[in-house]
Amino acid sequence: MVTTWGALRAQLQLPRPFREYPGYEYNNFPIPADYLDKHEWTRARLHYSSPFNVHGVYPPDNRNRWTVDYPRSDRHLLEGVRRLTRIDTKSVEQPVDLDGEDDVYNWPFMYAVEVGYWNLSDAEAQQLREYLLRGGFFMCDDFHGTVEWENFMAGMRKVFPERPVVDLDNKDPIFHVLYDLEDRFQVPGMQWTYPPHHMYEYDGYVPRWEGIYDDKGRVMVAICHNMDLGDAWENSDDPVYPEKFASLAYRIAMNYFVYDLSH
Amino acid sequence: MFEFLFKYPASVFSKGTLVLAGGWPVWLLIVAVLAAGGTLAYFVQRSTSARVKGGRSAVVWLLQTLLASLLLLMIWHPALSVATLRPQQNIVAIVVDDSSSMAVDDAGSGSRKNAAVNLLNSGLVKQLQEKFQVRLYKLSDTLVRLPAYDKGGLDTLTASGTATHIGDSLKQVLADAASLPIGAVVLLSDGADNSGGIDLETISEVRRQRIPVHTIGFGREKMAHDVEMTGVETPPRALPDSRLSATVTFHQHGYAGQKAKVLIKDGGKVLASHDIVFKGDGVEQTENILFNAGPVGVKAIEVGIDPLSGEENQRNNKLTRLVNVDKRTPRILYMEGEPRWEFKFLRRAVEDDQSIHLATILRTTQNKIYVQDDHADAPKSIKDGFPIRIDDLFEFDGLILGSVDAPYFTATQQQMMKDFVDRRGGGLLFLGGKEALADGGYARSVLNDVLPVKLPDKKNTFVRDPATVELTAQGRESLITRLDEDPEKNTERWKKLPYLMNFQDPGQPKPGAVVLMDAIPTSGGRLPLLTIQNYGRGRTAVYATAGSWRRRMLLPLADKAHEMFYSQLLRWLVNDTPRRLMASTPRQMLNDESLLKLRADVRDKAFLPAADATVEAHILGDGVVETVAMRPDALDAGVYMAEWTVPKPGSYVVEVTAHRGVEDLGRDVMSFRRDDGVAENFHVEQNRELLEKLSSETGGRYYKPEDAKKLGKDISYSEAGITVRETRDLWDMPVIFLLLLMLRSGEWLLRRRWGVI
Repeated sequence: MVTTWGALRAQLQLPRPFREYPGYEYNNFPIPADYLDKHEWTRARLHYSSPFNVHGVYPPDNRNRWTVDYPRSDRHLLEGVRRLTRIDTKSVEQPVDLDGEDDVYNWPFMYAVEVGYWNLSDAEAQQLREYLLRGGFFMCDDFHGTVEWENFMAGMRKVFPERPVVDLDNKDPIFHVLYDLEDRFQVPGMQWTYPPHHMYEYDGYVPRWEGIYDDKGRVMVAICHNMDLGDAWENSDDPVYPEKFASLAYRIAMNYFVYDLSH
Repeated sequence: MFEFLFKYPASVFSKGTLVLAGGWPVWLLIVAVLAAGGTLAYFVQRSTSARVKGGRSAVVWLLQTLLASLLLLMIWHPALSVATLRPQQNIVAIVVDDSSSMAVDDAGSGSRKNAAVNLLNSGLVKQLQEKFQVRLYKLSDTLVRLPAYDKGGLDTLTASGTATHIGDSLKQVLADAASLPIGAVVLLSDGADNSGGIDLETISEVRRQRIPVHTIGFGREKMAHDVEMTGVETPPRALPDSRLSATVTFHQHGYAGQKAKVLIKDGGKVLASHDIVFKGDGVEQTENILFNAGPVGVKAIEVGIDPLSGEENQRNNKLTRLVNVDKRTPRILYMEGEPRWEFKFLRRAVEDDQSIHLATILRTTQNKIYVQDDHADAPKSIKDGFPIRIDDLFEFDGLILGSVDAPYFTATQQQMMKDFVDRRGGGLLFLGGKEALADGGYARSVLNDVLPVKLPDKKNTFVRDPATVELTAQGRESLITRLDEDPEKNTERWKKLPYLMNFQDPGQPKPGAVVLMDAIPTSGGRLPLLTIQNYGRGRTAVYATAGSWRRRMLLPLADKAHEMFYSQLLRWLVNDTPRRLMASTPRQMLNDESLLKLRADVRDKAFLPAADATVEAHILGDGVVETVAMRPDALDAGVYMAEWTVPKPGSYVVEVTAHRGVEDLGRDVMSFRRDDGVAENFHVEQNRELLEKLSSETGGRYYKPEDAKKLGKDISYSEAGITVRETRDLWDMPVIFLLLLMLRSGEWLLRRRWGVI
């Protein structure tokens, strides 16, 4: 029976079923009861490799960087999607791989965390490029300072060597499609709750809302640099984490999701 | 032989009435026959010969009775009463076809025209002149009287007329007959009429005046080697770069099984080439060929088959049709109830289609909408949501309803949408979705009437399971679903496309609806996927899925199947949506015709018929500028008609304008063309069927040229003109004496056989 289903799935290019990976922080986060229910949408999380010791510290802190905040951040965020929009979303995220298979194309919205640690191979970069040009959307977040930026850009230049990364204009529809988000501020990670209450990490003092446009003037890569939206979603149920940061993080996410589904 | 046996030609018998000229009553003849039969029965019965008994005596009695009856009949003086033309008091009209098809050299001794002239000169005219006055006419698109035969009337024939209108010409002869004693018409023609045949009215009028039309046919009834294009149908209007279908009909003789190409050209540029294999001789063959309409402008689309080796008539291989590629961008309003992939990828699919203006309203939250319309011509009426005024809704040509439930709209808005299809003539497309169709409560909406399907009476019809797609027989022929020019490859292409992410049970198609695609769920079964129908002045469709977006993501970037399908579907949705003023003509190509018929359908802002408008057609051609007032049609409110005689061949543009007081009701532009010398290139074989029918319906007779010498005798028997009724004896017909002899000798031979004598 398994063989039959596997053959059918391969023949029809059916999406891979939901799977949960060991997390960087969480390994026993409860799975929602409706996690197998079929819905229109969910946010895919990119499963990338992170072998680099980016900051040169010892011991290297580079294991499973793609699972940072996972899955608590994802589950909180998807609950927010259900509450704040009419998007018919699943209750769980979908980890995806740029492994040369077609599965990733079933999930046109992809999120990646801590991309300052990623190491995209040429083949992965090529597939990400194809994914984006076919109509996929890529949002990344939670990477900070110059070093992580350069590492992120090393991968992104493989994807789009010809397309510049630009600051997203305040007037861009991505900041107005659902909420008017002209007055944005830096969203810190959980470190803000500890002394000395830094808003930033490394030398990432200024939040940067950047992106890469397609040929039609649409944002297809949304880059949230020097901020930690992932922590904000993750800790939005924690009283010590300020509501104003979580609220902005949610509104940014909702705008990005609706923007993608309408552009 | 007939005339030898029966004394008179067959036409005398067909036109005459049998009478008994002896003056004695018919009943007496019957009594005499019965008496003779009885007497003969008595004597035969009394015959003493044992060899003439039983059946043999009955045969003898029968033969003797027949003999006696025939003799009695002759005593009663049988005769024919027949009307004949009075010598030298009647006119015979000789009408010679002078159209260019008579120049075809297939009559054995030169052209058909020469064969006709030779026949007349070989004594036929002289023969007729002995009894009648003869008038000569030549026929093409009109009838022209020629000088008298003795003054060289036949020398003026040139076989160069641009058309053959036999019916119209006969009407003119009938007009002459009103003041002249025309006793008969002799028509020498190939019967290659190109005015659509001879109408019943003309035939009835000829019969009423009792003028027999005798026809003499020229030319071969079937070409040995010829290909003829018999019809081409193309849409009169199209959007720029639309894919169009030309339905091409042709037949051939002498090339069965041979391969050829049908070419569609626009000003020498080949738009499409289609390989064909000729079927049997004379078999009407139809092919559907796709081509691209190209940019804005009036296109003279030439459809033809290149001349083949040995083809006898190469001028009938192509036909021209006009296609107006309009400079317009129909507006479509897409109302979507939830942010979802189909919304995103449908918008993207048509964003490069310059002929579609897609405006969208998206419900992002329970109480927020997001309106997208960056077109320069964007109406402002939707900035606050779905239109609440009918005029605002009618600014659009098409509507798409996504996953938005019926109760989201007010009852007024739902009625407006129904009127949008029914009265305005717009297109309405329903997509599948969790709040669409049956799951969206449309079964209880007035929109249920316009749906092409009968929605199922249940919920949860939207299923997020995979399904593949299969074209139906109608889908294989449809332009909407054509991804590949080759129908077979197209069918296979659809089967191999990435599966749909979901599907919806739309119910069963209503009568008159057409299912173009079926969804084949992997779980089994088959459901209508794309169903279309015409409703009122518009059209509706159900595309029961929200999962075709997956094709865009799963197919390589260069594969445009997703874009092509949605572009074709949306173009179908709005291509025929009428504007407030629509001008049309039954025929844009006037081949050897000069009468243009114009029609304009005029509506007000609410698309109600504007019966009190002032409508004018402004016609512009080479050196021609004319304004024609169009008159309201008595039966059809809002429809205006006009007729105009096109003065000379060429291309013309017509701008029709309408206004009511100071209110401008709109304008429409169309084109037409008059070409002369085209019609005669087609149907050049002798149309014997038409000539025979004309003769038989009017009391005349069809002759082959070699039989035409009989015409001199036959033509006298007519009830038209100045006639006298004559009685022709029948008793002395040789056949009667032959019969008497046969009866008597027959009895003698039988008796001898039986050994009686």
